[in-house]
Amino acid sequence: MTDRLRISVSGVRGTVPEALDVDVASRFASAFASYLESGPIAVCRDTRISSEMLGMAVMASLMAAGLDGINLGQIPVPFLQFYLGRNGCTGGIAVSAGHNPLPWNALVLLSEAGYYLESTEGPEVFNIYEAGSFKKASWKELGKVQPRSFPLEQYLDALAGLINRPRLQEAGFKLVADPCNGVVSSFLAPYCEHFNLNLVAINDEPTKPFPHPPEPSPDNASQTQAVVKASTADLGILTNSDGSRLSLVDERGTALSEELTFPLCLLALEGRVSRAVSTVATTSLVDWAAQRAGIRLLRTRVGQSAVTHTMAAEEAEVGGEGSGSLAYLPFSPGYDGMLALTLLLDWMAARERPLSELADVFPPLVRRKLRIAVPPAQTYKVMDRLEETYAREHLDSTDGIRVERPGAWFIIRPSTTEFILRIMVEGEDEDAVDSIGDEIQERIQG
Amino acid sequence: MRISDLKISISGIRGIVGESLTPQLLIKFSEAFASYIGRGEIAVASDTRPSAEMVRCAVLAGLLSCGAEPLDLGILPIPSLQIYVQEKKLHGAVSITASHNPVEWNALKLIKSGGLFLSPYEAEELLDYYYQGRFRRVPEPERIEAEENPFVIHAQKIRRAGRLDAITKRRPMVVVDPCAGAASPYVRGFLEGLGAEVICIHCETGKGFPRNPEPVAANLGKLCHAVRQAGADIGFAQDADADRLAVVDEKGRPIGEEYTLALAVDYFLAEREKSPVVVNLSTSRVIDDIARCRGVPLFRTRVGEINVTRKMREVDAFIGGEGNGGIIWAEIHTCRDSFSGMALILEYLASSGKTVSELRSRLPDYIMLKDKVKASFRDRKRILERLSRRFPKGESDRQDGLRIVYPEFWFHVRPSNTEPVMRMQVEAGQEDLAREIFGQIKAEINSSRSDR
Repeated sequence: MTDRLRISVSGVRGTVPEALDVDVASRFASAFASYLESGPIAVCRDTRISSEMLGMAVMASLMAAGLDGINLGQIPVPFLQFYLGRNGCTGGIAVSAGHNPLPWNALVLLSEAGYYLESTEGPEVFNIYEAGSFKKASWKELGKVQPRSFPLEQYLDALAGLINRPRLQEAGFKLVADPCNGVVSSFLAPYCEHFNLNLVAINDEPTKPFPHPPEPSPDNASQTQAVVKASTADLGILTNSDGSRLSLVDERGTALSEELTFPLCLLALEGRVSRAVSTVATTSLVDWAAQRAGIRLLRTRVGQSAVTHTMAAEEAEVGGEGSGSLAYLPFSPGYDGMLALTLLLDWMAARERPLSELADVFPPLVRRKLRIAVPPAQTYKVMDRLEETYAREHLDSTDGIRVERPGAWFIIRPSTTEFILRIMVEGEDEDAVDSIGDEIQERIQG
Repeated sequence: MRISDLKISISGIRGIVGESLTPQLLIKFSEAFASYIGRGEIAVASDTRPSAEMVRCAVLAGLLSCGAEPLDLGILPIPSLQIYVQEKKLHGAVSITASHNPVEWNALKLIKSGGLFLSPYEAEELLDYYYQGRFRRVPEPERIEAEENPFVIHAQKIRRAGRLDAITKRRPMVVVDPCAGAASPYVRGFLEGLGAEVICIHCETGKGFPRNPEPVAANLGKLCHAVRQAGADIGFAQDADADRLAVVDEKGRPIGEEYTLALAVDYFLAEREKSPVVVNLSTSRVIDDIARCRGVPLFRTRVGEINVTRKMREVDAFIGGEGNGGIIWAEIHTCRDSFSGMALILEYLASSGKTVSELRSRLPDYIMLKDKVKASFRDRKRILERLSRRFPKGESDRQDGLRIVYPEFWFHVRPSNTEPVMRMQVEAGQEDLAREIFGQIKAEINSSRSDR
């Protein structure tokens, strides 16, 4: 199943080399360059061992199409998105598979303003890719790709502009960070210096493989939990390999669900934003947090593309998902783990309360997330059947099958990146949640 | 018949950037090479064509894909790359250069361990890998390494073998024209290191080629002018990848590229060492005269550097090359090397105390006419047969097309590997005769064409 290429709004994704090889990468970059017609295109990559190779194929293709490129090297994808909005590029390509495990990689396509491509733009690129007739420049008109270092000071100053920096510096928090040997590794020290944080970094060697799946969640947090306790830190964080997602460990060493990152950010933004966007698959705690913070919440389809484009259309300043993602439009249209961290630290400094206490306000809900492998050809057949099964209860057709029951809700939807169905059940009672989970599993497999 | 500008052959892959030579093709060809040659260090170097960066990225991507450890040497002459591969015991190398072809072209030339080009059989095997898509793609590619000054090894090797005292003593004034090609960053320092005073024209890279890169007389106007203006002792012209060398005498006259090799061979046999000489079938007869005069055997091979190289190794020849300005000094490496050529010819000037025109005038005069004539692939055999019947009394050699030698003249007609043309050369002592034979052969070819 891992040898198939996934082509979606966010780009092209697959395991290297079975699905995503240099040929596919170069044709895809040629298609994107043909779509954009002119440059410059900014490019970045994560620390995966295949990213340098795929990056080379991308750069060759941009040049051959006559588009200039700016190679920002190994930086988080949100940094690239921040850069795009401010530097007059026509688009961006990130060679990074975010939270996917190691054999995977991806090319993520970004608009001139740093957005993920819209659901209408992506297919246009794929049509050019399939047709295979790419823009070609003569030797005189070939593009040039220049390496450039990311303007880190500008980024950090922009983050500081969102918060009360002196107050945060005064607080002098101790932070344990596990960037999973990903791109965030190299930026932790300057970040912490900028905000006077006392940094304890683990798994921060970008030349080494991932020490655990690069998905920030309590499942992967045991090391961070132990170090937070041992070093009496104020906070622990995990990021994914491209720095777009964040999960938290409180000062007692308890790993918070990645679902809490976004609602906590909403609480932190109280009084500063009026509208927020989340997805139909995100915890109902976001409703609770939005209400408490006086923010109007809209729900849309799953994924960065849908969320950020809805934000722009609905003039919502903030958006996020249960995967530990947050975007804040006045800053950048990208999910940014460091942005979420900065807002939360600022909030902690303002409230002068430990994270465990700040996070203790939520009503106690139980969540169960399931991933069920389904053969690619079967996915939509299974979804059809489930839709019939849940026809009476299934009233929200925004994305997948979403069902509200008294005291609990659940959603079933095909992943856009892997050959699985993702299921999330959330409710007040653990037994009820478990039995719904079992029920869905039986119905899918039965 | 529609003929593609893309040429995938045993010489590598060649095409026009922006037309046939796409990054996808370059990537796949590099993948085939890395798969064929096996995992290990593979160097990558280029000349100075504006398309070199695009091609380099594609090549590096393809090599990484199939498990190679790429070593990026930046801009480097092809002989320097071959020497580097030998001295550092690398697995192989990819040279990004279309040598003397115009600037819109680019190409990959493939080098194996020892710094040798692939033999025709090896190249055929590689093409099988390419066409069958037999790529050994790896899940965990290596990382790209780079080297800062890879030319040093080449320069040191020549300095150790060269007679620098003599050159330094004479301190010849040299004007050199590397055509803004791969030699540009290095050639001034190299010649100064040999003991010459150096004026460099066309040394600035990054803006394409200031002249047609083929180092034939018609392209050397600027160099001739600069030699005269500076009152220099000699002018040297290199092609874009610096394997070929042309010489301009102290009066600012090109001596003709066939005489580059002649000067070097004449000097080498007289002053350095006697050894067999190996040249290809298209090389001037002046080399026969020199070999006879020095009492050494001469061997002729099919056209193509690797054929000369292999024969030189087989018969233990220390000197050889190609009449188009490709000098091979085996002690440095059995590759065509303009730097070796410059060193030998400067030694000759120094040790003889003569001028270039004097040294040239010691050699017999021949007129060589070269051309290519259109001929479809299916007509080739018939053309060669008819030519052979037309010139029955000469001594013929069929190793590579047809070469027929008469006492007063010889000619060589050879089908191109890559294009539907026949390449022809005629050489004679008198221009009239050369022109007459040339006309006869051309007429014979044209009347044999099925599409006439």
